[in-house]
Amino acid sequence: MAALAVSAIAGCGSGRTGGGGDGAGLVIGTTDKIFSLDPAAAYDQGSYVPETQIYQHVLNFGPGETTPKPDAAEKCEFTTPTVYTCTLKKGLKFANGNPLTATSVKFSFDRMLKINDPNGPASLLGNLDKTDAVNETTVAFTLKLANDQTFPAILPTQAGPIVDEKVFPADKIADDGDVVKAKGYSGPYTIASYDKNKLVEYKANPDYSGLLGKPKTDTVSAKYYASADNLKLDIQNGSIDVAYRSLTPTDLDSLGKSDKVTIHTGLGGELRYIVFNLNTMPGGTPDQKLAVRKAVASSIDRDALSANVYKGTYQPAYSSVPQGFPGAVEPFKDIYGAKPSKDKAAKFLADAGVATPVEINLQYNPDHYGSTSSEEYAAVKSQLEATGLFKINLQSTEWVTYQKERARDGYPVYQMGWFPDYPDADDYLTPFFGPNNFLQNHFEVPSITSQLNAEVTEPNTERRIALIEQVQRDLAQNHLSIIPLLSGKQIAVAGKSVQGVESTLDPSTKFRYTVLSK
Amino acid sequence: MPQFGKFGGGDSRQLALLRYLFIRLLLIIPTAWILVTVVFFLMRVVGDPISAAMGGRLPPDQIEARKEAAGLNRPILSQYWDYISGLLHGDFGRSQDNRAISEVVTTYGAATLELVFWALVVAFAIGVPLGRYAATHRDSAADVGLRLFAVLAYAAPVFFVGLLLKLVFAVKLGWLPVAGRASTNVELDLQHVSPKTNVMIIDAILYGDTGYVWDVLEHAVLPAIALGLLTAGIFLRLVRVNLIQTLRSDYVEAARARGLSARVVTGRHAVRNALIPIITVMGMYIAMSLSGAVLTETTFEWKGLGYQLAQYLQARDFVAVQGIVAFVALIVAAMSFVVDAIVALIDPRVRF
Repeated sequence: MAALAVSAIAGCGSGRTGGGGDGAGLVIGTTDKIFSLDPAAAYDQGSYVPETQIYQHVLNFGPGETTPKPDAAEKCEFTTPTVYTCTLKKGLKFANGNPLTATSVKFSFDRMLKINDPNGPASLLGNLDKTDAVNETTVAFTLKLANDQTFPAILPTQAGPIVDEKVFPADKIADDGDVVKAKGYSGPYTIASYDKNKLVEYKANPDYSGLLGKPKTDTVSAKYYASADNLKLDIQNGSIDVAYRSLTPTDLDSLGKSDKVTIHTGLGGELRYIVFNLNTMPGGTPDQKLAVRKAVASSIDRDALSANVYKGTYQPAYSSVPQGFPGAVEPFKDIYGAKPSKDKAAKFLADAGVATPVEINLQYNPDHYGSTSSEEYAAVKSQLEATGLFKINLQSTEWVTYQKERARDGYPVYQMGWFPDYPDADDYLTPFFGPNNFLQNHFEVPSITSQLNAEVTEPNTERRIALIEQVQRDLAQNHLSIIPLLSGKQIAVAGKSVQGVESTLDPSTKFRYTVLSK
Repeated sequence: MPQFGKFGGGDSRQLALLRYLFIRLLLIIPTAWILVTVVFFLMRVVGDPISAAMGGRLPPDQIEARKEAAGLNRPILSQYWDYISGLLHGDFGRSQDNRAISEVVTTYGAATLELVFWALVVAFAIGVPLGRYAATHRDSAADVGLRLFAVLAYAAPVFFVGLLLKLVFAVKLGWLPVAGRASTNVELDLQHVSPKTNVMIIDAILYGDTGYVWDVLEHAVLPAIALGLLTAGIFLRLVRVNLIQTLRSDYVEAARARGLSARVVTGRHAVRNALIPIITVMGMYIAMSLSGAVLTETTFEWKGLGYQLAQYLQARDFVAVQGIVAFVALIVAAMSFVVDAIVALIDPRVRF
């Protein structure tokens, strides 16, 4: 009866408008959230994924690449030490049919800096003085600092999408609805339907001409989840094809035993580390404080954190620069050992005359870096106290208070995390150890500042890599204002029939739908 | 002597009713004002959106500059005045992603109302017959068991019940979907239905595909049970208590004396009266469900107002949270008035 009633009712319907009907294509699930589709307003991983699909950049990172390659550009080069000039391909156009020219590029970068939105990525363009459209296909970026080797790597970031000057407002943020409607983007996909943070449907853009090529799947849908549990169950049951960000280590462990899915991993660049406030940390003199930091570095078992707490989903980190980036070395492993050494730690403290046990108030945050942080820092406490050299008072605070207090010298030793803006070792050095660094932990050393300036402006790649290696060793040997613990892999879980996932899990952190197929 | 001078007895009762309703209506204003004021100041206790979004990514001086630009460093009373003025003009604020909260409420409120409707169906289907059975088998083992069930149903956290339901019916048995309001392809197609109501079952019927209607119904079963069980426990106990009292009343005794069967006496006379308090409870239930569905919607990815509120909370979008909570507070105040009016119409004793 019920079936008949439903059939009868449904048979009466006449509301189709012909907009859909061809299925959901490849379905990708995530717990990330889109903050905004306007590049000027978004500086978060959730917005980065749709931006990766719909926007074109002057330069971009191809799958697996860490060197930027021409996307909308044909070529780019330093024409003077402070001018980076790019020649665009001819005949480029946005998905709405409007032409994409050097004026579009100038408009996009001028707009980004002019709006300077509180939540946007304009700060990445701190070295950009001005952008000029020399002619229809030539654009010149004038930099404040000469020979900035990081600038090409900034062009493919969230600060660099090219938008249509005819549809994006020059001085204010565009609503997502307007972005979708106006189609003022030129990436490999267009948005066919958009229910923000619920369900987004992408269709291949036939007019795209760039680095990423023709998408392997014409229709891709992104489904947004509130709960990692539901994401896990849906990938396990085959209701979605790919789960990308963010399943818990326990879920991944469980899915690893399933014969229906494959867990794909790739270098991701996330860093988890301990910060020392150099003014308020334990120790009576700078030498004693340094000894405490070295003793902590000698007492931590990163392998145990990786295996026991994160079930291998994070790797031990022995430098602030994660492995996989050109110039990354592992000085903490060389100097303090891959395994904890109580004897080394005791010697550092004894040589500096530090009385033991050293009492440390260690703060961590339970909500911003994942719920597993509490297990991670319980393990850190346990490891440090197992040496008999430390007494750890472990405390946690919610993020809003946490990030205020840590910058106000509230925490002597505390947890932090970092997700890279661009795949360059400098993104793990200058923001942490340069003058007025974002950590605000009172670390500013002229010799380190000189080394950082030298590596940023060194045009010779080999010499630059040597400088990057040197500064990592110097930091680990003589300063260690932070102690790296773990670096995160990028992880995606996919059905057995899905192809191409691993090729996009690279340090650029760009998850490209173009390479996926089933 | 009539109580109200020249008016007759019927007129005086009507006047008393109107006076009662008018006073209740006036009381909405201070109630709503207190609610939205409490919401505003509570939200200011927890922090500001710029720090929440950018903390750890930018130096503190830049964060302070951006707070200044966004007006968050202004005196709190100045911010409060703007907030109240906005509410008086129907402006509940805008989220960090620049969506009008009034639009968010109307879009996702429809999904929540749909869930509440299905939950009420479950609550009635379970609570009323079981309450009737418990009342007519008073103090039997079944009655004790049902009372225990009612307490458990009411006390069990909705997310726990939801997880159990998912584990059994979606994961182990594979009979029903894990989460969502429809399968992805169905949901995409229903975005193109016209006119779109955001009530998925109506959209599916308008689309005109039986398979889609079934798909939507399948997705509604588990969340409706999870949320409905809680209310079923309340209904069960209310029906039981009221029915026991009604079965003892004079008119029921009289009906029995006239030789009517127990089934007829209970079904035609007693149960109807026992349902009156449930109908009044329903009004408040619908209002409270707008906020109370947060856990159910999050557990089952039911993308309604509760789900949206949880998203804004997670994003620390305090303006959006403040707007939605203020809206729900106003709805609760309005529903309180509606319930008072219904009770007054049904039971004249409340006016005296």
